[in-house]
Amino acid sequence: MTRRLIVEPRGLAPWWLKLLIPVASVFAALIVGALFLSLTGNDWFEVYGKMLDTAFGSGRGFAETLVSATPLILTGVAAAIAFRMLVWNIGGEGQLIFGAIVAAGVGIWLSGSTPPIIAITAVVIAGAVGGAFWASLSAVPKVYLGTNEIITTLMLNFIALNLMQYLVLGSFSPWRDPEATQFPQGRPIIDTGRIPEFFHRLDWGLFIAIAVAVLAWFVISKTRSGFEYRIVGDSFDTARYAGIKVPKKVLGTFLASGAAAGLAGSILVAGILGKMDPRSLDLGLGFIGIIVAALARLNPIAIIPVAILMGALNNAGPALQSIGVPSATVTILQGAILLFAVAGEFLIANRFRRPDRTPEDAEMKAEVSAA
Amino acid sequence: MNESVLMLTIMAAIGLGTPIVFATVGEILAERSGILNLGVQGMMLVGAVAGFWITFQTENLWLGVLLAMIAGAALSVIHAFNSVTLRVSQIVSGLALTIFGTGVAVFVGRAGDIPLIGEPSPAVFNKPILPEALADLPIVGPLIFGHDALVYLSWIVVAVSSFYLFHTRPGLTVRAVGEDPASAEAAGIDVSRIRYIHVMIGGALAGLGGAYFSLALVPSWLDNPVGPAGWIAIALVILASWRPWRALWAAYLFGAAGRVSFTFQTLGIAIPASLLAMLPFILAILAMLVLTSGKRARFLGAPAALGIPYFREER
Repeated sequence: MTRRLIVEPRGLAPWWLKLLIPVASVFAALIVGALFLSLTGNDWFEVYGKMLDTAFGSGRGFAETLVSATPLILTGVAAAIAFRMLVWNIGGEGQLIFGAIVAAGVGIWLSGSTPPIIAITAVVIAGAVGGAFWASLSAVPKVYLGTNEIITTLMLNFIALNLMQYLVLGSFSPWRDPEATQFPQGRPIIDTGRIPEFFHRLDWGLFIAIAVAVLAWFVISKTRSGFEYRIVGDSFDTARYAGIKVPKKVLGTFLASGAAAGLAGSILVAGILGKMDPRSLDLGLGFIGIIVAALARLNPIAIIPVAILMGALNNAGPALQSIGVPSATVTILQGAILLFAVAGEFLIANRFRRPDRTPEDAEMKAEVSAA
Repeated sequence: MNESVLMLTIMAAIGLGTPIVFATVGEILAERSGILNLGVQGMMLVGAVAGFWITFQTENLWLGVLLAMIAGAALSVIHAFNSVTLRVSQIVSGLALTIFGTGVAVFVGRAGDIPLIGEPSPAVFNKPILPEALADLPIVGPLIFGHDALVYLSWIVVAVSSFYLFHTRPGLTVRAVGEDPASAEAAGIDVSRIRYIHVMIGGALAGLGGAYFSLALVPSWLDNPVGPAGWIAIALVILASWRPWRALWAAYLFGAAGRVSFTFQTLGIAIPASLLAMLPFILAILAMLVLTSGKRARFLGAPAALGIPYFREER
């Protein structure tokens, strides 16, 4: 009788596997995408070539890729730091939007003569505060009442989205441009509140985003607070025995996560948009941040290249229409990447063992390959 | 409010609520077995495009319904595999399903030699199926006898699933698996099989709900004919506290809310559509806060093992 392999949880996966799984997820998704393209009579090779050329083929194209990547770094960090602590904040979308609402509000309210350094700082910080506030609507009930945050963060996405649409499209609020009577749009923020561009449409917001990712990495891996954070993420019970105040940690992480997503909103408002534009802020950037976090395996530094990859996809999408291919090709790829990445976590969390071998044999083999 | 306005509102509530009834009951069945599937939106969209596509080719509505259910169920198998067999994060897998399904629906609608986008459906679910004499009765006539076939199907789905969950042995088994999979397994129940089946039923019903948009409510192909219906269904599962009959009323209430802004306009009261659109989401959060926090969640009926991967003990 043939015995099946035994599947069992393992401690540490070898480093190459943690690198291989995300890379393999991307390639597997590309195969799925090629299948869809071929079945609808498209030349997948040509389509992928066009995408590569649009996203990386020129300085201008790469700049646009980085423009698209900037908010994704921040929503990626937002998802990663929360998920690492098993805080299922899937409200990056709503926190980004509410951040944008607060940031635009401050940017409109400030006097036009405010010096740039103060104005930019105020607008950018306002977004982080707004995002943290929107997260607190889920975080406080979670910590003090035990309310499930998956549903509340999800629902708050739609409340924020509709609030934004109400402020610009459905009312004559201060967020709406009074001069745009025909087609409602957001009122521009003061000029001195705009983050300067340095290469085509690329602005310094990119470096704010990268700095936040590096800061997240530094705090988590190099500080005492981050050490406690990692213990809580591994086991609530262990953390409690070690005297760590778990609720406080969870609350802090949740708010920091919301702040990062809100920052994505304010950097869009102070950067390329210059106003609260309901259409440009409703692109699923919060959800794509979850793809970024999952593919980066919740590592803040890895988020930067992964966000650039997702930014490249977002940037390449619209260009596909010029060759008669739906831009939704990109959405298929992003969804498939996430499906493969999450399934791949199984291979990282478990190992296979032949029934005739002892667990110790398998353990040693794993350690040898890890070393 | 005069009688005809009230009547129109109720009829619209039933129409707008029907696709959400299908999706909500489907998600209730999946969650009762312990699997949270955040992919409802994706499954609805895939069902909507699959149903529309085959009806567009064949002009056969029931073929559309069938293919929509198959498409929704097929997509849900991915989620079942991820959450039951691989035991990875149900939350991330469900979101991935939604993103993937959204991409597939928009892609299929725009790709190919004859793109579906903008095309009207050659056949539409809009004819009352019961004898006209019944529908002509005052008040109860249109309310009870004046609907299309899928509305009656949704009533059957609600009645059958409610009876199944609470009055049959297999239904008891499903609830046991959602409450305490280890004990269920010890009692000889195949937990994985139950969960696969109910996630797939959930997918089929979500696909059917999607098809009601593209074949009855809209009825033509747009990039997203279903709006945020999948997410509303997830909210309504909580408002309905995991019970099919309550899902029916909750979905109709939501349908009425969608219609009320229009009704108010005819009465000269303006309520911005975007504020009204928040309503189901605000209600879901309030319900969560008031009813599902901490120990009360058990009282309300949330399956105890919902969303938790089940590791079978190795013997």
